[in-house]
Amino acid sequence: MLAQGPTEGAERSKHICQLCAQLLGVTGAGISMVTATGNRGVVCATDEVSARIEDLQFTLGEGACVEAVKGGVPVMVNDLHEPGDVAVERWPAFMEGAAAAGVRAVFALPLRIGVISVGALDLYRDLPGKLTTGQLSAALTAANAAAVALLQLGTGYANPFADDTDGRAAYQMQVHQASGMVKIQAGVTIDEAFLMLRAHAFATGRSVADIAKDVVGRRLRLPTEDR
Amino acid sequence: MTKPYEPGGPSAAIRHREQELARTFVMLADSLVEDYDIVDLLDRLAAACVRLLGVTAAGLLLDDQQGRLAVIASSSEETRLLEIFQLQNDEGPCLECVRTGAAVVSADLDADRVRWPLFASFAMKAGFRSVVALPLRLREQTIGGLNLFDDRAVLVSPDDQRLAQALADVATIGILQQRSAHRSTMLAEHLQRALNSRVIIEQAKGVLAERNGMSMEAAFDSLRLYARDQNVKLTDLAFTVVHDDFNLAFLKGQPPAT
Repeated sequence: MLAQGPTEGAERSKHICQLCAQLLGVTGAGISMVTATGNRGVVCATDEVSARIEDLQFTLGEGACVEAVKGGVPVMVNDLHEPGDVAVERWPAFMEGAAAAGVRAVFALPLRIGVISVGALDLYRDLPGKLTTGQLSAALTAANAAAVALLQLGTGYANPFADDTDGRAAYQMQVHQASGMVKIQAGVTIDEAFLMLRAHAFATGRSVADIAKDVVGRRLRLPTEDR
Repeated sequence: MTKPYEPGGPSAAIRHREQELARTFVMLADSLVEDYDIVDLLDRLAAACVRLLGVTAAGLLLDDQQGRLAVIASSSEETRLLEIFQLQNDEGPCLECVRTGAAVVSADLDADRVRWPLFASFAMKAGFRSVVALPLRLREQTIGGLNLFDDRAVLVSPDDQRLAQALADVATIGILQQRSAHRSTMLAEHLQRALNSRVIIEQAKGVLAERNGMSMEAAFDSLRLYARDQNVKLTDLAFTVVHDDFNLAFLKGQPPAT
């Protein structure tokens, strides 16, 4: 069950980037992993400019993606020449490097599930302009999917996508309550606890919401001996 | 959903309500000028709805910008109530209200079984008979809904509906006024920030419930009390509980020496 996790996570991340580039009216997309333990690195990029954006932030430790990860909210620079209301003066070197690479607009979305911060999805365009409401909505969905793919990549769990491929469980309160309980029961981090819930759902063929309900109702304790 | 009309001029009950109303708006105005916690503000607002409007339960749902509604605050943490809110991702007055941007009222859920078969039977099983859903509106856009439930089959009075809409408008302002990395507002950021806050608080509730053997309600109460008592933001406190293993067990007894 642990074996194919990382490979599948990497494949999914790549696929998500490609879909973003094809469907969101952007020139390219990239995903970087940034974990609480300090692990970070470029996971994938659709083209050289995207790779450059990720590398720049990795090297400089600043930029739209870094800002998005720090703040936990999307950072949208619709036009690098006229950043308007975005506080870009905090990352001058990134702005310069990105502009030199031919980037005109950059949209960074944090990849997170509650407090679990795993990285960022960066979209760029060689022309200025903001994402439409529909594109933004699709980008947020892509970010949800990418967050789960990265969790899987980072922890080595095979990912149970058996249910809620649309990320719906992410907003169901009991899933988060159950994550908190499992964190204490198993003595793991909150992101590992969330993955344990998903893994158990996968193994038993039930939905994460169902498993969470039983954990919160104290009818179920996840087995922890195989970890 | 007011109490039955009492003849003979303003009664003590009405005066009491007016005082309560003034107090509520002062509290909300006070909250908005500081660096407030959005979930805490909306939580107070949900409680104010129950107090002022005499309804059984109130909840606020936000559009997560991906076509779904997520509970952000509720007058009770009762699981059955939360499930009713969540159910409205499939059908129900709040979903209709958010889609159309207009108020949706059911004075008797029993009569609306055909309209919302799943929602009506679920809500009635939980003991509710009537419901009002009011939009959280930002110009033409609807960013969520305020949901009021009553255990009696009653039609909301025009006055009460106006008051409830005013409270819903305060919620909208609260969501849009959160401090942000951008100098001007970006709706997606505000909504995501509010929803993230709620997720972190749920995780913290789970941690405390498990560690201290308490119910989710008690866990939430202890978080809320501690945050207000120590004047820290609810979300920041929850983050500490989840990430730094900060324990609130002492809340049952003495506060810690600082």
